[in-house]
Amino acid sequence: MKSPMKILASGLIASVMTLVSTASYAECATDSLPASMDGPGGFSERALTMIVPYGPAGGSGQVAQAMAQAVTELTGVNINRDHKPGGSGTVGMTAYMAVPADGYAVLEHIDDASSAHALDSSKPNPATDLIPLVISQITFSQIFIRSNEDRFTDWDSFVEWVKAQDGKATIANVSKEGSMERVTMKAISDATGMTIQQISFDKGAPRYGALAGGQVDALFEQPGDVRKFLDSDTFKPILTILKEAPSAFPDVPSLTEAGLDIEPLYRFRGFYVHKDAPADRVEWLQWAFQKAFCQQSYQDFNKSKFMHLIESFRDTEGARELITATIGQYRDVYKEMGLDVK
Amino acid sequence: MDTLTNFMNGTVALFSDPVGIFIFFGGVIGGMLFGAIPGVSMLTLAAILLPFTAHLSPEHGIMLFSVIYCTGVYGGAITAILFNIPGAPENAPTAFDGYPMTQKGQAGKAVGAAVTCSAIGGTISAVLMMVATAPIANWAISAFGPPEIFALVFFGLAVASSVGASTFWKGWLSILLGLLIAVVGLDPVGGIERWDFGMPYLLAGIHFIPMILGFFAVSEVFVQVEKKAKGSYHAPKLSVDFPSLTELFAQKIAVVRSIVIGFFCGILPGIGATLAAFMGYNEAVRWSKDRKEFGTGKMEGVISSETANNAATGAAMIPLLALGLPGGALTAMMVGVFQMHDMEPGPLVFLNSGDLVWVVFSAMFFANLSILLIGYLETKTIINLLRIPFQFLAPLILLLATVGAYAVRGLAIDVAVMFAAGIIGFFLRRSGYSVAGIVLGLILGRIGEQTFAQAMQMLHFEWTGFFFRPIAITLIVAGVLTLLGSIYSSFFKKSE
Repeated sequence: MKSPMKILASGLIASVMTLVSTASYAECATDSLPASMDGPGGFSERALTMIVPYGPAGGSGQVAQAMAQAVTELTGVNINRDHKPGGSGTVGMTAYMAVPADGYAVLEHIDDASSAHALDSSKPNPATDLIPLVISQITFSQIFIRSNEDRFTDWDSFVEWVKAQDGKATIANVSKEGSMERVTMKAISDATGMTIQQISFDKGAPRYGALAGGQVDALFEQPGDVRKFLDSDTFKPILTILKEAPSAFPDVPSLTEAGLDIEPLYRFRGFYVHKDAPADRVEWLQWAFQKAFCQQSYQDFNKSKFMHLIESFRDTEGARELITATIGQYRDVYKEMGLDVK
Repeated sequence: MDTLTNFMNGTVALFSDPVGIFIFFGGVIGGMLFGAIPGVSMLTLAAILLPFTAHLSPEHGIMLFSVIYCTGVYGGAITAILFNIPGAPENAPTAFDGYPMTQKGQAGKAVGAAVTCSAIGGTISAVLMMVATAPIANWAISAFGPPEIFALVFFGLAVASSVGASTFWKGWLSILLGLLIAVVGLDPVGGIERWDFGMPYLLAGIHFIPMILGFFAVSEVFVQVEKKAKGSYHAPKLSVDFPSLTELFAQKIAVVRSIVIGFFCGILPGIGATLAAFMGYNEAVRWSKDRKEFGTGKMEGVISSETANNAATGAAMIPLLALGLPGGALTAMMVGVFQMHDMEPGPLVFLNSGDLVWVVFSAMFFANLSILLIGYLETKTIINLLRIPFQFLAPLILLLATVGAYAVRGLAIDVAVMFAAGIIGFFLRRSGYSVAGIVLGLILGRIGEQTFAQAMQMLHFEWTGFFFRPIAITLIVAGVLTLLGSIYSSFFKKSE
């Protein structure tokens, strides 16, 4: 029987993820698109609405704000953000599916929509029930410890220490069973043979406070979300969950260097429109959101969030491939974990 | 000396910037107005302003919310006194005696007492905050993990269990109902869907703001409509006579006691001003020689509640800044303001943004002083709301409450929840159950469940692990003793 680790290593994601380990890009992904494009039939003569299934303060809220600003800079069309948090994105998705499919409403969502569909196919498939306009953030995860930690100092000594604790070691993680974070951490635990208790924190601040205050021994997180702790030398990464180490973290071992034969899962955020929206409006929205990705304000935003370390851009087809592959990968892992996949 | 220097620097930074001054006074007046207008509250104002704070500097954004917090807590007392509609749960005990004072034609005295004591409680709390926050920040994150926070929530519920209810048991049943409502939606650990009845919108849970608006504002309208229908409705008498200095000085012990209670309660993460107000009022009743006069329009009741809830505002900033733990809805929004500016409340704020912290501290100090000055002028106007005929005021209250409920998350179901809570509250209030207890259970239930689950994971699902965490076990024992004492008192009084 294949373990979740081996399923993760199926290479499916690798076929669609073109990762570039470089700190910056001389050319932006959508530089070749036309600088301007007339909206069909005067579209959009009024402001667009962007439904955001999370609060304004978190990662989704921030990327929604940055993308809305970039689209407005590019096109002059205002975008009103309508935050509908709750239910791990379910509430916002449900609200979006209920609005008229006229192209005036777009949706921001993250990879949770893909994992939710993988577990329950009655929930919307972002690749087929929606049209991805652009995926504008793709990032990887790392394992962090306190910089002043003296019980272990790197990945090897951490694994050795965790094994010696006989299951008592702890790592702060996000809460939802089946989430990218928990699935990945389980695969790492299986691959290393260590047993570590995952502590569920669904909010960032308590999660980071738990590591800073010594309530937990380690933290699973994306580097952009803890950048200030890295800049202040409060936390330090000991493992990069990528096949190859990005240039920003040359001294932190990657999965390959740590001898872990698993394929990483990624956190990605993107923007969608209903599949039944008029085709000419969809075409204009695709241009606007993809072109806005290369606006200076958006590029600066992504850079501030460490979203430039691997290629963050996917156009509609690239996004569909990524989402479809991710759903398949999650579904295999869930079945292996014994979850009730519907 | 460093504290004084930092305070002076913060004050200079605050008042040397024209934009800062504008935002400061905008926050002071806005907090008071939104706290005072029936149906909306400082939370409504904060929710409206939250997206706009992204365009302000971090100092201005966080200072604005802290000022709104100080003045909004006071502003909610106005509607509690004039219309029996607390602006927020922390103003609920104010209504116990404030509203009867209005009905007796003493609205001016009640509002004047609230103004003065809110300013005193808040200002002293702000001073204590300046002295205490930095030292606490250094040890709090290591001392307070999920087991300790769960223990705090348990202790807070134990202390507040009987407030606002006719009996201890009805108080606990009210809180348990609130705890039950808190489990609607995804569970905080596994993401398991609970009590959603196939409605995706319920996965987001029941929000406490529509519940507050329903239980207090909507149900009060129903109560008054019933009186109108029965012909027993009497418009409250209008008076603007403020209490004399002699009358206020006579309440000095109640003020000091409520400051101590308020500050202590404010430090408890996730509890704050609501528990403070109830405990302040409860202790005033407990220590009074004229217990039977409480609830009939006794000024000491208003003073105890309002001093305590404003004293909690400064204290509530300590867990927020030191731990990143919001004490209530508004401080939770302040976390959002921090994050919008790429910051996290916590000890790193002191290290990385010390200037910002002291601007906020100074702003809170002066915001509380402003309550005295602007509060007197403003309330002279606000009291005239009593002149509006009920048939015009009631629809306005319902309209504002509906807007307030919808504005929280943009979900129509929140409006439905508000009206359902209004109907349920209408019947519960006449049966001796505590609608404030239900709200308290709902607010603390979420925090309690999450921290309990985290604590059990940290303790490897051995509940005896609490015994090896001194702060947690101390709070749990204190909570258990409080409960046992309340149970004993309920039987003892019955036998008497």
